[in-house]
Amino acid sequence: MSPAVAFLALLLVSAATVLIGVYGLRISRTTSDFYVASRTVPPWWNASAIGGEYLSAASFLGVAGLIVISGLDGLWFPVGYTAGYLMLLFFVAAPLRRSGAYTIPDFAQARLASRRARYVTSLLVVFVGWFYIVPQLHGAALTIRTTTGLPSWVGAAAVVVIVGTTVVTGGMRSMTFVQAFQYWLKLTALAVPAVILLWHLGMTPGAVPAGTVLFGADDGGSRLGAYQTVSLMVALLFGTLGLPHVLVRFYTNPDGATARRTTLIVLGLLSVFYLFPTIYGVLGRAFLPGLARTGSTDATVLLLPGRLLGGPVGEVLSALVVAGAFAAFLSTTSGLVVSLAGVISQDLLGGGVRGFRIAAAGAAIVPFAVAMLTDSLALAGSVGLVFAFTASTVCPLLLLGIWWRGLTDVGAIAGMVTGGLLCAGALLWGSRLDPGTPGVALLTQPAAWTVPAAFTVMVLVSLATPGRRNAHLGRFMAKLHVPERSLGVPRG
Amino acid sequence: MSASNADSPEGLPPARPGRVRVTAPRSTARRVPGRTSVTQEVAEQSAVGEVFVRSLIRSQLRLALIASAGFVLALAGCWVLVRWVPAVADWRILGVPAAWLLLGVGMYPVIGLCAWLYVRAAARNEARYRDLVEEP
Repeated sequence: MSPAVAFLALLLVSAATVLIGVYGLRISRTTSDFYVASRTVPPWWNASAIGGEYLSAASFLGVAGLIVISGLDGLWFPVGYTAGYLMLLFFVAAPLRRSGAYTIPDFAQARLASRRARYVTSLLVVFVGWFYIVPQLHGAALTIRTTTGLPSWVGAAAVVVIVGTTVVTGGMRSMTFVQAFQYWLKLTALAVPAVILLWHLGMTPGAVPAGTVLFGADDGGSRLGAYQTVSLMVALLFGTLGLPHVLVRFYTNPDGATARRTTLIVLGLLSVFYLFPTIYGVLGRAFLPGLARTGSTDATVLLLPGRLLGGPVGEVLSALVVAGAFAAFLSTTSGLVVSLAGVISQDLLGGGVRGFRIAAAGAAIVPFAVAMLTDSLALAGSVGLVFAFTASTVCPLLLLGIWWRGLTDVGAIAGMVTGGLLCAGALLWGSRLDPGTPGVALLTQPAAWTVPAAFTVMVLVSLATPGRRNAHLGRFMAKLHVPERSLGVPRG
Repeated sequence: MSASNADSPEGLPPARPGRVRVTAPRSTARRVPGRTSVTQEVAEQSAVGEVFVRSLIRSQLRLALIASAGFVLALAGCWVLVRWVPAVADWRILGVPAAWLLLGVGMYPVIGLCAWLYVRAAARNEARYRDLVEEP
């Protein structure tokens, strides 16, 4: 692909993002607007925005890359990413919306009546957010390097600057419109080239070189070990409901029932989207086999249109794919920056619009530094590690906090700290070991034991400290679960 | 929604009808004297209201557990098929291995179906609760 086309695609996406952000700015005036779009966003918009925010570098580039490396087993990732929303729908969506809290730490404080629990949750949320932004910036670096030949840091810096500008100036009202636009951009950017490529391969004689095999003789079965599969699914199913940028989106629904309907639409949008990375993965295995040897399989989606279709059509399709990839980095990063800025500004800077702006800048710059100091792993894999971490920390807090009256602040803190230390420790230790070491999967894919450990500690410590239960728990539980219209208490 | 003029003394109109601050009124508004509705009992944390809320939470939790167990079973079934049944590994539909179709396409309608059934059932639980607490 010629660098000029890639630049043009980047400019268009960035311009569209900033323009929609500025358009939204005109109706974003109060503190409440800044954080959660005043909760006036209709379900379709909101669902598109959630989809736009959730589909990150890992989904847009990583899934296809993983399928190129590991074949059928790569398909577990998109299934898990989608099913995570199913668990969120079952256990969290409506009650959390009704809790009336802006952020996960707000929920922790309201549920547990404890400042200390709030601070521990805030620290975890900021940690999770930073480490979820890092793979987005790695993805941006990879995209810029592959398509324009510029140094890697330019891509990461571009994302940080654009996100910083839109968030600092617009807040979340404009974010909702930007995110919704970016879902449809991402879907178009994957679907149109995929359909044209398939049509080209099917209709043009000689487009498929003789001897090309889409599926080898031994590609039909799964080779991933039983423990890894289970552990991966635990991480993906229960990690989604702890992601800070996902939760903050649910506060923009007007009520709990709408939050459920929105999630249903989100599941539809994700299901349609994930059909396409799979097509790229399958084509990449057949037509870009060299990538698996160089280790840069995450570039599959970016390179495939140019490889299969030369000439102007190939250029235009490549530009579209690059635009979609950048939309993915921008939307996920900005969603995370908004939610982190909400947490940081409320807990450290005393709230207010000015504090939010300062916090947003901080939330974007720290992961930029981390991304510059680390090497890119496989995108889908490194995002999967963040899911394992949230499943071991925030997930037990939310599930037990919403459904079990016995949870106390001491129990919640003990469980989150245990889960966080075990999971982070296992991942760090595992990354230093040789991948062939027996039992190393227990460390590199720890969710299957760290999630139950966090739950167990949380329950046992809560049972041991019954005196620390929230005195106004009954009122709060009613607020979480009673449908809005029939509740006689004021809603926050 | 009524503008709160709680600042003005009881019975006296405000000095001049200027701008008033509209706040969340339901918490401060005087209660209409008379019979107590169940809605009010829920709000006031009476024993009766508490029983209704607890039963609602229990039925919603049971529903969420059943729904997630159903999905996890479907997922486990799919995994057993692609991992342990050689016939599935060898079976091809139009050249595409059945396992790829199952995982790459087939799981999404299952997810959507579980979600749709759950949303309907959860709304039904809430409607039943409303019928209980809201008098005709």
